[in-house]
Parts: sequence; structure tokens; C-alpha cells
Amino acid sequence: MAIERDLTRALGPERVLHTRDALLAWECDGFTVLKSRPRAVVLPESTTEVQAVLRLLHAAAVPFVPRGAGTCLSGGPTAGADAVVVDCSRMRRVLHVSTVDRIATVQPGVVNLDLTAAVSDHDLHYAPDPSSQSVCTIGGNLAENSGGPHCFKYGMTTDHVLAATVVCPDGSLAHLGDPAGPRSPHGLDVLGVFCGSEGTFGIATEITVRLCRNPPEVRTLLASFASMSSACRAVGDIVAAGLVPAALEILDQATIRAVEASVYRAGYPENAAAVLLVELDGPHEVVGEEAAEITAFFRKNGALQSEEATTPDERKRLWKGRKGAFGAMGRIDTDLYVLDGVVPRTRLEEALTKITEIGRRHGVTLSNVFHAGDGNLHPNISFDGRDPDATARTIAAGHEILQLCVELGGSITGEHGVGGEKLDHVPLMFDDDDLEVMARVRRAFDPDGRCNPGKVLPQRHACAEVAKWPQMTAEVLGEGAAEGGQ
Amino acid sequence: MNATEAIRERLCAATGPVRIVGSGSRARHLPARADATALDLSDLREIVRLDHGDQTCTVECGVPLATLDAALREHDLELPCLGGGTAEGTVGGLFACDPFGPGNEGGQSPRSLLLGLDAVLADGTVFKAGARVVKSVAGFDVHKLFVGSQGRLFVAARLHLRLKPRPRAEQWFTNDDLDEAAAFRLLHALRQEPLPLPVLQLRRDSDGSHAVMGRAAGRAGYVTGVVQRHGLHSVSAPTSFHLDPPPRGELLTGLAVPSALPELLRAVPAAATFTWLGGGRFQVALPDPGASDRLLAALPNVPASGVLAVATGERHGRGTPIDPGQARLADALKIALDPDGTLV
Ligand SMILES: Cc1cc2nc3c(=O)[nH]c(=O)nc-3n(C[C@H](O)[C@H](O)[C@H](O)COP(=O)(O)OP(=O)(O)OC[C@H]3O[C@@H](n4cnc5c(N)ncnc54)[C@H](O)[C@@H]3O)c2cc1C
Repeated sequence: MAIERDLTRALGPERVLHTRDALLAWECDGFTVLKSRPRAVVLPESTTEVQAVLRLLHAAAVPFVPRGAGTCLSGGPTAGADAVVVDCSRMRRVLHVSTVDRIATVQPGVVNLDLTAAVSDHDLHYAPDPSSQSVCTIGGNLAENSGGPHCFKYGMTTDHVLAATVVCPDGSLAHLGDPAGPRSPHGLDVLGVFCGSEGTFGIATEITVRLCRNPPEVRTLLASFASMSSACRAVGDIVAAGLVPAALEILDQATIRAVEASVYRAGYPENAAAVLLVELDGPHEVVGEEAAEITAFFRKNGALQSEEATTPDERKRLWKGRKGAFGAMGRIDTDLYVLDGVVPRTRLEEALTKITEIGRRHGVTLSNVFHAGDGNLHPNISFDGRDPDATARTIAAGHEILQLCVELGGSITGEHGVGGEKLDHVPLMFDDDDLEVMARVRRAFDPDGRCNPGKVLPQRHACAEVAKWPQMTAEVLGEGAAEGGQ
Repeated sequence: MNATEAIRERLCAATGPVRIVGSGSRARHLPARADATALDLSDLREIVRLDHGDQTCTVECGVPLATLDAALREHDLELPCLGGGTAEGTVGGLFACDPFGPGNEGGQSPRSLLLGLDAVLADGTVFKAGARVVKSVAGFDVHKLFVGSQGRLFVAARLHLRLKPRPRAEQWFTNDDLDEAAAFRLLHALRQEPLPLPVLQLRRDSDGSHAVMGRAAGRAGYVTGVVQRHGLHSVSAPTSFHLDPPPRGELLTGLAVPSALPELLRAVPAAATFTWLGGGRFQVALPDPGASDRLLAALPNVPASGVLAVATGERHGRGTPIDPGQARLADALKIALDPDGTLV
């Protein structure tokens, strides 16, 4: 308990939690299949306090796990029983906004949507918009390189982050990047590789991001289709015409029905096999012309019906179903396994057909809601986590779906990260040499392997003595899961 | 033999330090160390795939930018980080040197457009990072380290790139002979456009005159509107204010936020040519080492950062102080990926 005592001395008893009951809220993230209570949780409020904490943990050789709001869907912030969670959610101050330069510097615990709220009076917003944006933090977004419905046009977090103050695992400080541009003229883009490192390289304590001007006009279009293929073809036509809508989202029939039966009811036609949500933004004259072109593509692909929302209230209604889709799926069963594969956009139709087949074979309940413009699929499996057989079938189907994505030329994750969830899937994309190079990069940041150990890299490429995650996987899911997920 | 095998073979055959050469344009700025073997990759020039539906491509590192641009044009696509004007050099060189940064605030930077790569470490290890699709967060983004690395971490054999649709209409413009106030007014007004201009640059010449150039792009009506609203002087060919190294003297490249521009221009000696490349990047062609040193000393107070990109001998790379933490991590990454210091 020596480390708990030292941490308490540094932060005070209210900000160091270590009794078993107090740790319950930190036993998992949005990937509830994997659970483990950490050794302790600390709640620092400044860079200096994070430094003090990490120096103590360094001296005591104790592993630690950074955490934001815990909305991650891949077990990223879930800590092993020997690790201390450094929870940044109390670091929620917007430190600086420059409306001329259109940048903001924030603490990592600032909630994504709160940043937009803080700058909206200046007609600015922060563009990356994960569907969890009312809860998730900028620190978590940076660590995950998060995207969202609008990243088809505006890009992922990496396209918006300019600089970050990072506390390294030994407690030392590094100021990465430059508020003026994405790579400092001195050389390496260290921030570029830090972004998306899933909390394994250090803790970001101040983050400078670019803000975007609010577009003069936003218009949301919704079309329903009798088949998923027609919806996908409409997407292909829109993109091939050189149009870049702000968002291009598809919901399948299972999702539509779940949404319509829930509090997120948006008036989507329940008989449709798919609805396509398109958002356009920009100058009035441009948006008007683009809306006409897109409506023509809806017609060409046999849309059952389409509507166009121009007022904020109408737009909110059309988005309500999409934004509430994951919540609505809670009605289907007790647990939800949200997958996150990517395929080349031109292979969406083929991928969805094969995913349906995989689901049928494993006897799991599947629904799809996805970022069609990016080919980023979210097949969702609803299951009862108390039933080991259902859990095993869910995991097996998930593995096969991600394998399919890779076979089609895509990726095992478009935005949710590898975390502890996809360690078994990583070798589908990367061979031993690829992983060894990544391990070398990781060691450059964290030579002792104490920062979020056991995540991102499968065990033999992580630091053997600290890679506890696969064991945790085995504990929770049974031996088979840790060895291959089948 | 594919590009990774070819590079691996060449690396294994080389002894001592190795200098990667694309089109050779860097050698004009920074001559190779006398003891370094030049590894010429300009023969690796295949466009391996161009998936216009997915708006991605895979190219070998030695593909000339002009060749890629012509191939993309056939599909109404572009690689929007060429800095304006006609592109010189190779794709590998563009990403390794990242001379322009994003064309404008919010413009696409090489960091955004490089989706993944196949590469070779100095010890011959072949590896890949990233993916071919437009979105992937699998594994660490080792490929992002290639951007601006000057070929000193590893050798990229093939690059997977994100492409963008070529705008339906575009108009390049240059408004020159402006005084400072007029140039700033125009720059400020253009920054308020609801669609960020993909290229927006400012130049101050040694005679004190200023010019603003850029590219308005989008739908035809909108482009015409921008040109008319701001009284832009259309030019027929793409252009760029990117500075070539001066015959004598030095070239400094730096970063500053737009609000620092007036202060920055006050710090730049009148005899120097200054360009603002949009997206935070600026360049100054300085007449002599003394002027460079004075500017480097003044930059932190602007505030701005800068480094001598072209200079004689040991002066190359001299710059404003770098954060010690960032420098330590950059060194650790170099040691991790090229422990023998082969790539120079
Ligand atoms: C309903 C729902 C919808 C979602 N939709 C999307 C979506 O559209 N797009 C998308 O990309 N994601 C989405 N997510 C996933 C998740 O919200 C994102 O990954 C988000 O960025 C996580 O932020 P967080 O603050 O919750 O971080 P956490 O979950 O607490 O942590 C995420 C990772 O970041 C690390 N970390 C946290 N803070 C720091 C820090 N300061 N420094 C270093 N590392 C840190 C942690 O160690 C962990 O590995 C969704 C999740 C849910 C539950």
C-alpha cells in the first residue's frame, strides 16, 4: 500500500481511490465484456499533478493507465489489477481560445461537445464528432484518433490536433507539435505517431486543436431504400460525382426498427431495408446545387422516399435515430458488441452480404449502422453476456467479420482502436516484423512498458513482464478467447 | 523484384552511411556527406494501383509528382498537398521532406494524406504500417513518422495515399503590388470565406511590395463569386510562392500562427524575401548568415519557430530552440529504428 499512501500524500484522500467498492466504476469501458478492477484510481487536475503521480509510479515501477470518460469500445482504458488508473476527467478547463487563429488549447478531460459549446459564440466548432461526443473527452479522442459521422469531409482527430503537452511515463514533460501547424519545422512528426497510440505512450495534459468555422448553411437529406445494395450504390454515385458531403451514414433495417421502437424514434420508414442520411454544409448556393444532385442520385437508385431538412429542429429529428442507434440497440438484448471494421468503399455491398451470412452461420443477432462514405462498418451483435455460449458465438462471429474486412483490403478498426479487445485480430493485418517495428516505437516512448501495458500489441511484442491483458481476457472469456477468439 | 526487395538489396549492398535520393532535389539544398553512399530510388516509379472509386492509390516512392498528377487528372482526382504550382520531385521526396505543409489552414497536410506504407529499415527489415483504406486506427501510426523525416528513419518503398476529387472549377489568382495593409486585408478577407481556399499564400519582396496568391476551388458559381467579391486577378497557370534556395545566402523555414504575421514581418529583415505558405508555414530567403542568426534570435519573441533549411555546412539545421522533451523523443525514435545511424 506504499504507493497508495504516497499518491494520497500528493493529491489528498478524495482524489485517490483504492477500496474495492470505490473502484467499481473503473472496472471497464464501453466494451463491457472485459472487466477488471484497477489497483487504484487517481484524479489529478493539472499537468504538475500528473507529473507528480507519474514520478511516484515510476519510482515504484507501478504500471498505469490513462483514462478519459471511459467510452472507449475496445477496452483501452481498462486496467489490470496491478495498475493505477490516471483519470483525467477532472482536467476539464478550456485554457485558451484564439478566434483569429482558430485554435483552442484544452485540458484532456474537456468533453468533445463542451469544446464546441465553448466556441460556438464565435461561430466556430471542433469538427471531429464521435457519436459519443456528449461524453467522451478530447484526451480520449487524441489517444484513439477518433472520427465520427462528419470525418468523411473533415477528417479524423489527427487532422485537427496541432500540439500537445505530454507527461512521459517517467514523469518528464514533452511539448509535441506546434500550435501553428501540424509538424514543427525541426523535423519528426512525433505528435503524428502519438495520436492514436491508445494511451500507451504517455498522458496528454494539454492539447491544442484546430477549430473550424460554422458553415453558413447545413442541410440534411434522408432517403430510404428497398435494398441495402441500392443505398450503397447511391453512396458510390455521390462520391464518384466528386461530391464531398459532410456525412454519409447508413442504417439497416434491424437498426431502423430498434430506433423506431425506442425513445430515439425519428420517423424512419420501418419497411425500408436501409436509410441513407446525407449531410451537406457550405455556402447557400453550393448546398442547394449539391442537394439537387444528390436527390437525383436517390431517384436513380430507386429510393422509396426521401426528405430534406433545413431547419435545426428538422435536422435534429433526422439525426436523432442515427445518434441514438447504439442506445436503441440496448432494447434488443442485454449486451451489445460494437464491431468497427473498414472495407474499401467500393466493396461495401459485398462486405454487408458476407457479414449477414457470417451472422446467420453463428446464430447471432446482427444490425448495421455505419459511416458509408469511409467504408467504416459497425456491425453490432446483440447478445446476452450472461450466456457463455452466446458470448462465445458473438466473439467468433466478430473475429470472422474483421477477418473479412482485412481480406477485402480493409482494416480491423476504423476508429475504436485495438485496445485489449482486438489483440487477437492484429496479426490479421500485421506480421511479426511490422509488430516488432511498432514495439520499437513504443519502447522509445515507454522503455519500461508501464504505460497502459498489454494493449495494442499482441503479447509477444509487448513487454513480456507487464503484458497482463491477455491473461485478463482469458479470465473473462475463457482460455479459447485469449488464444484466438474462436 | 518489387520495390521493398529492391531497396532491401540496395541497403544490404551499401556500406557505411546511406543517403536516400529521390529526384535529387534535396542534394541541391543539402549536399550529401562525403562518406555517404547515395541510394537512388528514382527508378522505382510504378503506380501500383489507383482505385478511383475509393479515392486511394499505392505508388512506389520514385514516382515523379508530375506523373502521378497526370494519372489522377484522368480520373478527376488530385493529391491536394503539392503546395500549388507545378510539382517537382518524387512522391517519396514530397512526404519525406514535407516542404509545404498544408496549403492553407484546414488544408490537407501530408500527415492526413499518407494512409500507410511499405518500408525498409536500415538493417533490411521490411515492414508495413497503416492501411490502404481511408480510415484505419489499427496499430501505431509509424507511417506518420515518415513525414518530414528526410529519409533518416527508414526508407519508404510504397506509399498508400488518400486522394481527393478535383474541384469542378478552379481559379488561380495573384494580386501583386500591394502595400502591407492591403495585403493583410485581402488575406484576412479570404480567410473568412466559408470554404477554405485550398491554397492561400502571401509574399513580401525585398523591394517592400506584397502579393497574395491562391486557388479558389469548388463549384463554378462559387469560384466566380470569390474572384469577384475580392477583386482577385486571375492567372491562367498554377503558381506558388514557395521559395527556391537563394544562390548565395540561406533559406529559413518556420511556423507561426496567422495572428503573429504582422510581428513576424517586422522581425524579417527588409532585404529578405518572405513567403507565407498558408497552414502556418513560412519561408525567408536571407542574404547572409548574420541576418539569419538575427532572425532566429528574434523568432521566439514573435512567437514563431524556424530552422535553416538551406545553409552552408554546419549551419544547416540550426534553428530556434526545440523543446527538450520532443528532442529526446525524436532521438529515441531514431535510435529505435536506425540504431547504427546508417540513414543520414
Ligand atoms: C455510444 C458510443 C458511440 C461512439 N461513437 C464513436 C464514433 O463515432 N467515433 C469514434 O471514433 N469513437 C466512438 N466511440 C468510442 C469512444 O467514444 C472514443 O474512442 C473516444 O475518443 C474515447 O474517449 P474517452 O474520453 O471516453 O476515453 P477513454 O475511453 O477513457 O480512453 C480511451 C483511450 O484513451 C486513452 N487516454 C484517455 N485519456 C488520455 C490522455 N489524456 N492521454 C493519453 N491517453 C489517454 C486511454 O488509456 C484509452 O486507451 C463511441 C463510443 C460509444 C460508447
